[in-house]
Amino acid sequence: MPCKYVVGSGLDLERALAAWRVLAPEIELRPLELSPRADQDAMHAALADLDPLEATAFVAADAYFLNFHRLELMSIVRGRGIQMPALAECGAIVSAGVRLLDNSWVGAGAVIGPGCRIGFNVVIGAGAVIGAGTVIDQSAYISPGVVVGHGANIGSKATLGIGVSVGHGVEIGALSVIDRPGRIDTNVATKTFIHATHSQPIVIIGQ
Amino acid sequence: MRSHMPPHAYIDQAWFERERDLLFKPLWQFIGLKVTLDKHNAFLTRTLFGIPIVVQNFQGELRAFENICPHRQNPIQIQPHGVRPLFCGYHGWSFDREGTTRIPHEETLYRFDREERACIHLRQFALEIVGNLLFVNLSAQPLPIAEQFGAEMLASLQASSDAYDSEVIMTTYEGKFNWKLAYENLRDSHHPRYLHARTLYQDVKFHAGIDESALTALRQQQVNLLDDRGEALALMRRFSTGGPDAPMQAPPSEHWQTMVERYGSQDWYYNWLAFPNLHLASSNGGHSFTIEHHIPVAPGRTDLVLCFVTAKKKRPYPSSAAVLHAHMMEADKILREDIDVMEQIQRTLHPDTRPAHLGDYEFLNASVEQWYLGLMEEKFAL
Repeated sequence: MPCKYVVGSGLDLERALAAWRVLAPEIELRPLELSPRADQDAMHAALADLDPLEATAFVAADAYFLNFHRLELMSIVRGRGIQMPALAECGAIVSAGVRLLDNSWVGAGAVIGPGCRIGFNVVIGAGAVIGAGTVIDQSAYISPGVVVGHGANIGSKATLGIGVSVGHGVEIGALSVIDRPGRIDTNVATKTFIHATHSQPIVIIGQ
Repeated sequence: MRSHMPPHAYIDQAWFERERDLLFKPLWQFIGLKVTLDKHNAFLTRTLFGIPIVVQNFQGELRAFENICPHRQNPIQIQPHGVRPLFCGYHGWSFDREGTTRIPHEETLYRFDREERACIHLRQFALEIVGNLLFVNLSAQPLPIAEQFGAEMLASLQASSDAYDSEVIMTTYEGKFNWKLAYENLRDSHHPRYLHARTLYQDVKFHAGIDESALTALRQQQVNLLDDRGEALALMRRFSTGGPDAPMQAPPSEHWQTMVERYGSQDWYYNWLAFPNLHLASSNGGHSFTIEHHIPVAPGRTDLVLCFVTAKKKRPYPSSAAVLHAHMMEADKILREDIDVMEQIQRTLHPDTRPAHLGDYEFLNASVEQWYLGLMEEKFAL
């Protein structure tokens, strides 16, 4: 019987398990619960025994540490030679021709318009709407219900929080975080953090 | 001991303006970090006491100017930082490292006479570089920076800030409190036990004690009222101090800390207070630094510009931005505890507020207070 490791923690893990149960009832699911804030050594130790001949895998984690945590988990799993097919939950609408790469996750009721390009390890939350021709780079995290216009570009490891909507053609820079509800109609530079808790943006300059 | 600070010092606009003229304009003020200006045409802008200032890199040389185009007073650089020539987007005027102006279509459209043309240049401010710290002085005849901070403090600021990495995270908090409350708070080592009991005090047990010799000196200072500029400057230099402050409860153990060239080798909390309004700290034994600059905006308004930087990276690593962001959010918890209490205090102040009562452990605040009131009463000038 084919099996799948589902790696993650808390609600993310529960949701991914539930989704895979519905989508692929023939697969035996093996949950691997990790502390949501596990460091690299703990992650490597927990994933040391995964067998690439035996199973596929899926990593279900949030946007912690600017999405590096989820990316690190995925890298460790993939580094062991394990296949990591994408998960499009029941009720998600993925337009024809849109390819979902490794470990990307499209939530129930989300809509991905025609001509979109979605990178690996991207999370698109339930009910989010991604306009036609939008590019979402690897490991970005789009929260449930977010609306992204047509022809937008969401940089790698960017995070869009609940209540955010992004206008047509707008570019959100890599590693940026927008978790202040509202509409973004102008480009946001790389490594810019717009938090509801801060009246002024937080920015990183230099390298 | 009873504080002599009147409530007006915290709430009155006329007092604030005198403070600007008597204290801040003669003194060197922090304006930014050199590491953020490492390219030709890199710039930063700040507004200090209503004066917009740009610091610009010209082929590696940093200059500070008033950020106002002499043509129609448009700001020359609009963004808080970036890389762009010193060029006004309104009518295309541009400026060189001397502040000299190049005016397109000058002969055909402007036709300034020689006398007026000679006046058309940017107002330049004195700029000093101490390690990675940039200071400007708004005075036409700035005092030597060593007279403000003293050689030992300058050396400490230089050595520690030379350790800064070139990747910097920053933001601004719009505090609704008078800037002096921030420094009275920072010089008070007793408050972390209570205000930061669940945050900072978990990691570092700051020791509040009474320095009897300093207290005696303070009492002597009360007897010998300051009226000499040299003595006043000498005393002011004692307000700027820095170095290891208190031992950490546990040695640094975060993974990223192995990837930076640590400043020093002590597992201590480092603190630097550069009078009047700059606070630097390293909460993890020299692996990273916070730079807090409190910019007075109005009697009850202070912009707190916060930068966070690790020590220099041994080599770039992919998650460095995440490290900076995580630390900024962690520092935010402690900072908000301070900001909340300062805003509460500010709200209680009114013209008839009774004076504060300082303990002997607050001898440094009392000493600063006496010096400051001497300045404001014009017993001496800077």
